[in-house]
Parts: sequence; C-alpha cells; structure tokens
Amino acid sequence: MTKPGVLSSAVRVFDFSFGQMLWSRRSVFLGLLVGAPMAIALAVRLVAAARGLPVINGAGLSGATLFGILIWLLFVRFIVPVLGVFYGTSLIADEVDDKTITYLFTRPVPRSAVLLGKYFSYLACVVLLVLPSVVVMYFLVVPIGSRIGDAFPSLVEDLAMLIVGLAAYGAVFAFVGAQLKRPLIIGLVFAFGWENTVLAIPGYLKRLSVAYYLQALVPHAMPQDSSAMSVFLQVFQELPTVATSLICLTGITIVALWLAGRAVETREYVLEQ
Amino acid sequence: MTTKTRYFVIVSLLVMFVGLGTGLVAYYVGFPANAFFNRSTPEELRYLPGNAGLVAYADVREIMASDLRQRLRQAFGAEVQDNSRRQFQDLTGINFETDIERIVACFDPGGTTGGNGLVIARGVFDAVKIEALMREHGAQVQDYKGKRLIVAPHFAENDFDKFGNNSNEPRPSPTSPPTTLALTFVEPGLVAFGSSSLVQRAIDLHIGGGESAATNDELVSHVRDLEGGNAWVVGRLDVLKGTAKLPEVVANQLPPITWFGLRGHIDGGFQARVTAEAKDDESANMLRDVVRGFLALAKLQTSAKPEFQHFVQSLQLGGTGKTVSLSLDVPAQVFDAIGAAIPKPPAPSQTPQ
Repeated sequence: MTKPGVLSSAVRVFDFSFGQMLWSRRSVFLGLLVGAPMAIALAVRLVAAARGLPVINGAGLSGATLFGILIWLLFVRFIVPVLGVFYGTSLIADEVDDKTITYLFTRPVPRSAVLLGKYFSYLACVVLLVLPSVVVMYFLVVPIGSRIGDAFPSLVEDLAMLIVGLAAYGAVFAFVGAQLKRPLIIGLVFAFGWENTVLAIPGYLKRLSVAYYLQALVPHAMPQDSSAMSVFLQVFQELPTVATSLICLTGITIVALWLAGRAVETREYVLEQ
Repeated sequence: MTTKTRYFVIVSLLVMFVGLGTGLVAYYVGFPANAFFNRSTPEELRYLPGNAGLVAYADVREIMASDLRQRLRQAFGAEVQDNSRRQFQDLTGINFETDIERIVACFDPGGTTGGNGLVIARGVFDAVKIEALMREHGAQVQDYKGKRLIVAPHFAENDFDKFGNNSNEPRPSPTSPPTTLALTFVEPGLVAFGSSSLVQRAIDLHIGGGESAATNDELVSHVRDLEGGNAWVVGRLDVLKGTAKLPEVVANQLPPITWFGLRGHIDGGFQARVTAEAKDDESANMLRDVVRGFLALAKLQTSAKPEFQHFVQSLQLGGTGKTVSLSLDVPAQVFDAIGAAIPKPPAPSQTPQ
C-alpha cells in the first residue's frame, strides 16, 4: 500500500479539524474578539447619528477615516497577532496537552500533513470570522460622511491584507508551537514585545518582524497623536513597497510552515504522564 | 463537515459576498452616501452653481453664541460692533445676530456680470421690511418664474459709508460696470442674495433642479472632508488664480495648488485645519518643506512668549501624497493677549451735568 501524499492527507485532516476548531471553547474567545469591532462600530454609528463624530483640531472625523483607525488599532495591531498567537501555537501544542497527538501520528499519513491540515483549518476558521466582521464594520462606519463606493478599493485591500497577515502570523506561531515548549508565552512576547520594540528602533532590526511588512499593506494612513512615542515612530517610520511586503510575507509563511513541518517530522513529543 | 459547520460557512460567505457586491456596485455606479446616512453637506448647496470656484459655509448661530465671540466683543469694543450691526440692520432689515441661522456663499468665476457672488442664508426674516428697505435704496421688484426678485441696479457708495468706512482706500472707478444685485426668498426662511444672474440661477435650480454644487462630485467630496467645523471654505485655487488676473510675477510665485480648504471650529477658542491639494506629489513635498520652515521660524520667534506657546505647539503639519494639511488650535488666551495688545480708544470724557 502506498503512503498517501502530504496534500491529500492535509485535506483529510482539514476536513475533521475545521469543525473541531470552529466549535471549540477557544472560538468563544474568537467570537468576542471579532464581535467587539462590530459592537464598537454600532456604537459609533448611533453616537454619530445623535451628535455627529467628534472634532479633533478643527477636523471632523469622517467614516472612512474612522474605519481606517479601527483597522489599524483593532485588527492590524491587535486582533491579527492575537489570533495568530492563540490559534497558531495551539495547532500541535493542544494535541500534546490533550495527549491525543499519538492518535494522529500513528495514522498512515505524513506528520507534516497533520500540521498543514490544521494550519488550513485555522486559516479558514479565522478568515470566515474576521472578514465578515470587517465587512459589517465597513457598512456601519463608512457611510458616516463618506461614500461607500469611494472607500471600496481600500476595503478590498484591507481584506486581502488581513488574509495575508493571518496566514503569516499563523505560520510563524505554528512553527513556534511545533518547536518550542510553552509556545503561548513565547508567542505573546514575540507579538507584543519584540515586534513593537523593533518597530521603534531605527535600523534594519525591524525587518525581522511580521508587522513591518504587514503595515506596508494597510491602505490607510497610520493614526498619529502628539505623544513623544508617536512622533518618534513617525520620524523613523520607513515602509517597504507593497511588492516587497507581499514577497516577504509569502516567504515568511512558506518558510515558517516548512520549518514547522520539519519540526513536527523530527521532534519527539514526550507526553507527560 | 457537519451541517452546523456547513451553515456557518454559508452564512459567513454570504455576508462577505453581499458586502463586497454592494461595495462593488457602489464603486462603479456611485451609490449615494446618503442612502444610509446623510448629514455631510448643507442642503443649500443645491442652489449654488456647479462650477463655483469658491464655496463657504458658516453656522452663524453657533458662532454668535460661542464663548470666543463674547471674548472678542469685550476685547475689541462691544459698542463699535453693536453700532455696525445696527447699521447693517437699518440698511437690510436683517439682524445678523438673531435672524440668521447659517449661510452658504459662493464665488462663481464664470459669472458674466460685474458681481459673481451668491449668499444663501437660512433663518427667520421679515420679508416685508427687507423689501421696503431695499426699495428705499432704489431697488425694483421684478417677477422671475413666479418669484419676487428685488433687483438693485447697484448699491450707492453712500450706502456703504453708513458702515463707517472712513478709510482712504481708492474707491472703485466710476467706469467699472455697475454691480447688479438681487434678492429673493427661495422658500420660507431661505434668502438668496447676490448678483442677479446667480440669484436667477438659484431660482432655476429650485424650480427645475439641474447641475449644482450639490451634484459636483469633486466639490462635494472636498466639502465632506471638511465636515465637523462650524465654518468652512473650499475652493479651486487654479480657477481663482485665472480669474484674479494677477501679475505674472505674483502668479508664478503661488504654489501649484488645485483644491484648498479651510475648516474652522469656533467655540471657546478656534480650531482649524487648512488643507491644500497640490498638482502632484513633488509639489506637495515642496509645499510641506515651505510650511515646515515657517513652523520652525514661528517656534523660534515665540519661544519667549508663553501665551503663544500652546498655539504654536498646536500647529501640526500633515497630509499624504498630494494633500498637505496644517492643523492649528488657537486658545482663547491668544485672543485675550491680542486684545490686550491693541491700544484702547480713549474713553469719552464725562461732561458735567
């Protein structure tokens, strides 16, 4: 009997793990995470209908500007990395913790196909939840003083950027989960410690982060305030081109997935008794 | 895949496809923004010509009631301002403080008459009094498409002297074409005042619709960007420059700006944002450099004046691509300082009873 290929095996793993992942307890957290922007957008819409949007330095916010701010602050800076950390690190780690990894590894499928199938489940799960949330948010916020059609190209770019970001973060943290012990802590330190720190440091160090490339794909201007940190970031802000970002993020995703697959293939997982 | 999971996938995809489909239709067909929400542009825009080179708006009631205005009244002499207001009321029958709610004005560079401005004011007006006063000044009542059009061949110079204009500025040459002004009540509580041709055009637009400032997508888009202030101005510098017939030396020195806008919010202080849309990215960068230089100079000059520190620190240069913007926040203290610096007129001597 010939051993099934990696891709066909990954599809089988995807088939059963997608539903499992979607209806897991972790999805309650995911639901809250993607529900919050919709709730904020609804609140903004109600406030704007009653009193109008606030005026800052003589400039009234428009719906399109506010949508850009929400995309930056909620999705790019928080939701995408958090989803990557929580789901990516759990792809293999959860099976180890539940001591069910043995059942998967004793099947006649390549070990890397298990990781790949679970990674695709993660991607489908988060994409199907995050993207509709962004679309709903768009239709709640953007019509406030802006045209839906005018901002539509930026919505498409936002959705594409989010898919690329979720894929890259998921792959990086899938590798972290497959390779390291206590992946969640290390993932959180990477996403909210390392990435934020290197972005503020002048030089080439920021190129060792996912956020650096992802920021270049955001079609909205980065929100700025008058704080010293914001001014500092503005001074040292340099963004790669869209093409460079896409190539680098694709590279990061492929390399991280390959490394994660290799780690799963070679590493011996010791289950605690 | 279970049925529950399948339903979830279908619903999720449905939300995305309906959303993207609607957005796509809006993008190509031009779905109106006000299909869902409408508070972005003043409705009076539909009475202004579509090719207006300059459009301005002021929420007069809000500005008149603002703390800043009260401070300015005290700083610059309430009595003088009251006299001016009274003289204006005597001449036009309109109390600027109480009668007008908001005004929208425009300058039409394509106007063929001597005057090519139009003011649309919304408020509470005494139509009979206004008409009587205008007739006193030589105006005649005409009928235009069923509307009473009060036309003044031109305002006599004496009329303007009533405002106390004692300056030595040269008066317009008597050979210049007379300014034909007209006034009409487009609808109850809405008065249009300006050059006759534009007032007639406003009546045409009111009756039959047509191309107006409200249908000029580019203008409306710039007006929407100015939302939030209680006064704003938006215009095309390139169009105005052509109309102004400036000397070539001066015209060449002006930055290559197409659209410009000023949004002001007057309350306790004055917050504003000036935006300019340059011809291209390079011009915008050059303009930013110039403004940055002026900001540095202003910071240097005011370093020893604490009352201006907040104002100078509030100056923020921004904008991306072709757009250059400058935000500023003038606190009430700055106006107090200016008011204190202006020499007060000597108090009238008390005559013994």
